[in-house]
Amino acid sequence: MPTMNGGGLSSSGLHKDTQGNGSRLAVVLVVLSLVMFTMSARESNGGFFTGVRSVYSTITTPVRYVGVVVTAPFQGLGNIFSNLTANQKSLSELKSENAKLKASNVKLKEAEKTSERLEKLLALQSTYKLKSTAARVISGATSSWSDDVTIDKGSTSGLAVGMPVTDSNGAIGQIISCGGTSATVRLLTDENSRVSAMIQSSRAQGILEGSSDGTLKLTLISTDTSVKVGDNVVTSGLGGVFPKGLPIGTVMSVNKSAGALYYDIDVKPLSTTENFEEVLVITSLTEDQQATSEDITSADSQDSSSSSKSSSKSSDSSDSSSSSS
Amino acid sequence: MQVKDTNKNKRSIGWLALACLVLQLAVAPNLALGNGRINFALIFSAVVALTIGGRTGVFCGFLAGLVFDLSTTGPIGLMALLLTISSFQMGMECRNRLAGEIGPSMILYAIHALLVSLFYHLAMLIVGQASSIFDVIVQRTLPTFLLSVIAFIPFAIFYSRGDGTGLSGRQRGGRPKKGSRYNIGNI
Repeated sequence: MPTMNGGGLSSSGLHKDTQGNGSRLAVVLVVLSLVMFTMSARESNGGFFTGVRSVYSTITTPVRYVGVVVTAPFQGLGNIFSNLTANQKSLSELKSENAKLKASNVKLKEAEKTSERLEKLLALQSTYKLKSTAARVISGATSSWSDDVTIDKGSTSGLAVGMPVTDSNGAIGQIISCGGTSATVRLLTDENSRVSAMIQSSRAQGILEGSSDGTLKLTLISTDTSVKVGDNVVTSGLGGVFPKGLPIGTVMSVNKSAGALYYDIDVKPLSTTENFEEVLVITSLTEDQQATSEDITSADSQDSSSSSKSSSKSSDSSDSSSSSS
Repeated sequence: MQVKDTNKNKRSIGWLALACLVLQLAVAPNLALGNGRINFALIFSAVVALTIGGRTGVFCGFLAGLVFDLSTTGPIGLMALLLTISSFQMGMECRNRLAGEIGPSMILYAIHALLVSLFYHLAMLIVGQASSIFDVIVQRTLPTFLLSVIAFIPFAIFYSRGDGTGLSGRQRGGRPKKGSRYNIGNI
């Protein structure tokens, strides 16, 4: 007589067969998952899984596009609740105008600094002569882990992995995977993002890193240099990926720990994910847009001064320890 | 225990899979709480595991996890592994849990959602994607868990209605229907 006992009919052959089949299948699929996980984690760009993911991304692009269209009316809900006292239309227009003015201001300051530093330019020239392709953002990050967006252009439009991406305010990220008709852009705010950047006023160069709270951390800025809240942060052009002088954000806070060689600088990005609609993918850089030898020398001297400062501090500490001993 | 696996079930699973795939690709990226997003792959695998279970549940869990992995930038196979194990455990009961026991089913699902989310993000921490356990727990695991539980509620209510859903493969005791794959009444 079969009896119901927790998982099922404990004394029947049926119970054993069905559960056994499920167990065996589960074990096989667990092993298969582990194999795929291991191979995927060890795989470099251009491997089998990258190809599969690229095909999948291409196939599902229309669905993502539909999702953006359907959810577009709900994108502004957060703004509506936080700005109940203002007219939504006028608020949107003012925000848009403010963003344009900020970007324009940064561009003008950058052009002025370039002119002053080099003293050779005869006329004011456009800082950004970008060779680029326009694309539309069709999806945000699917996973809670990454901060990226998907755009509706891919390798068939001449895009490739590594190309920088901007919106109307400045740099926003870099392509990390590219399918035929779509590409994934890792945003600057992603935790794995690293971009060479500098303080526009002092020309101090460092590395801009993303963080999970949506802000940017500017590291490796020596405490010898002058940094203040509100300073503009732009790309330095070092590394040859991003064009030099592209606006990124403004300094939100500057902290200096006792004895530290570098500042802890929080940067507020000029663009937020909610505002991404149309973007430009920079397909190539001219010589003017790349870091000059002076910039590289400046960055090297900044590093060497920090190193010497560090070594002098360590020698001081060793001296003091030896004297105390 | 699976006592019925008809073409009707396959069609119903297909429609559910399509709906969850569309929601995962179109809605999940645009609805976020902090860094958390709804995991529709987990919801799909849980519905199948709680209503049909057995081999079907395990296989659907694996496929759903694989599709989730393909739509993210993380390593492929991690969510497939977690959903395979989760579906196997949730599908061990020999009856349709969602039909008539929606409360306990929700609790079981919530536990699995929390564990899957926690282990997924911990695994990402281990492979070097984060530096802080605080970030993993507070900013990613909990929002993902919360959103996935809230999004599961309409599915649970819909599939708790029974035969109308099509996912009615297991009987809640009593005599089995004629034509069932396994005739328990003859045992």
